[in-house]
Amino acid sequence: MNDDLEDVLRRTLGHASQRAPQAPSTLSSQVMTHSLRRRTRVQTLVAALAVAVVASGAVVAVRGAGGDPAPPVVNPTQAPSSVTATPSPSGKQAFVTPEPIEKVWPQAVWKIPAKLPGIRKYQPRIFIDDRTLLLETWGSFEKADAIYAYDLDGGQVRKITDIRTPKGVFASGYTAGAGRIVWQTIDEVDGGRVTEFWSVPIAGGRPTVINTAAPVKGGGDKLTVVGDKLAFSVIEGGVFTVPLGGGTVEPVAGAERHHILRWPWVGTPGEYTPNKEASFEDLLNVETGETSKAVVRPGEQNVRCGVTTCVGERRGSPSFYRLRDGSQERDLPGSAFPGLAADRFQTVFSPVPRGGQYMIDLVTGESGDLSLSPPDAKGQSIVVQLGVGDSRLVSYPIKDEHVVIDLTKIR
Amino acid sequence: MDDDPRFADFVAERADALLRYGYVLSGNSHDAADLTQEALIRLHRAWSRVRRKQDPESYTRMIMARLHISTWRLRRRERLTWDLPEGLHLDVLPSEVEQGLWQALEGLPRKQRAVLVLRYYEQLTDAEISGVLGISRGTVRSHASLGLNKLRSAVSHPTAANGSAL
Repeated sequence: MNDDLEDVLRRTLGHASQRAPQAPSTLSSQVMTHSLRRRTRVQTLVAALAVAVVASGAVVAVRGAGGDPAPPVVNPTQAPSSVTATPSPSGKQAFVTPEPIEKVWPQAVWKIPAKLPGIRKYQPRIFIDDRTLLLETWGSFEKADAIYAYDLDGGQVRKITDIRTPKGVFASGYTAGAGRIVWQTIDEVDGGRVTEFWSVPIAGGRPTVINTAAPVKGGGDKLTVVGDKLAFSVIEGGVFTVPLGGGTVEPVAGAERHHILRWPWVGTPGEYTPNKEASFEDLLNVETGETSKAVVRPGEQNVRCGVTTCVGERRGSPSFYRLRDGSQERDLPGSAFPGLAADRFQTVFSPVPRGGQYMIDLVTGESGDLSLSPPDAKGQSIVVQLGVGDSRLVSYPIKDEHVVIDLTKIR
Repeated sequence: MDDDPRFADFVAERADALLRYGYVLSGNSHDAADLTQEALIRLHRAWSRVRRKQDPESYTRMIMARLHISTWRLRRRERLTWDLPEGLHLDVLPSEVEQGLWQALEGLPRKQRAVLVLRYYEQLTDAEISGVLGISRGTVRSHASLGLNKLRSAVSHPTAANGSAL
């Protein structure tokens, strides 16, 4: 019977393949346009996706899953400044471009010059504190060679340290706390990932490795400073702590398969789920032991959850936004990117102008236009996509400036 | 190389076959189109290198398989640039057994499905599958065996009832 099943499977796949759609005649030119556009976009996305956290960034407006979550009070699709229909041709007529972000959220938006005296082209990485941004410069593509502190009030830039990493090894995962900047490097040893952690005083100095009693096996995926310790999770699953001054790496009890979402909340599965599971469906508060399981209904796809809320898709219906317990569900604009920053922000394509995007606050229903330029003659444009979790910084370049948004300043 | 007419020729000649492959990999038209578009964008970016070293079609098929089992989907940056035509041919498959099997494939984890598609649609050997997906032969065999077992118990097949096969 084994042979039978294999034969039937061959026939089934062969017949089913005939139901595939046909390629449009313009496919190759579309592909080339996208390919060229991506060449300039990669850097931008790296910056926009690296919406990183400050350990003390617990100032996020929504509280823990068991607390008093901020409900989605407004149906975003009914907000006057958002898309009022799915992106069909008729939907375009109803669209009113929102006011620019700096008018909607003036307390949360800065524009800083893309060229700063004495430093090369840079990428904003995290907020060190409410007024200070961590900037990273590159020696080669995505390979950090120095980090700087930028004072948002005075506009001064100060080098914190140079960074040197071996070929193929990159600094990533910046976080700040206890007066230090902490980051990781991931190397391959005998075919497996090994992570090292580094730190430097915010005031400046030379980076020092955080000595661990044994090598940290696995690739770090999220770092956060908790008191005098570094807490981290690895891509393979598992949450650990290590003293900032070095010492033994301790597994966090009950979090053997977990990933840090927003400390003290850790969860499974992590943000990336190859088998279509909902990300962060199960959460554990490692300080109180409280747990939370997000409601996920049959047929839902690409469900991504934060500490209090989830977004997801259903075939044939608008995407949704709701609390983890399944209540207060709302439809989302049709062309939203799948991220959910700080449990409440998404970016959405504007039908007009072409190539435009706005950011929407799903809690208040307010939206602000990101003022992105339409694709230029070569089809090049910028896309801003938010991650999941405790994102605080959103940044992207426009002409000769970097736009910087502090999501914690939007209430 | 940006305007290499050979790239346009390749897309014109092979895109439909790639879409069919994407369709059996993913199980639906939208993902098939998405996978094809993304793999072709990556092929375009690597076009001169790929043409020097290997066959563009196998490269593209490898990218599609790896994308399908990877975390790419949640990180994807762009939406499809073309509208899928109305009135797709969603005819019922020729037999109930095939229809049942197609639905059962939907329930498989991505890696198991990809291994089965590479083995029974692409007719690759386990060694070739191991190269395409970048996993060991042992893993290929175990995914295939798990996948076939699940299909067998999911379809109303004579052997499914007692689970005697394998």
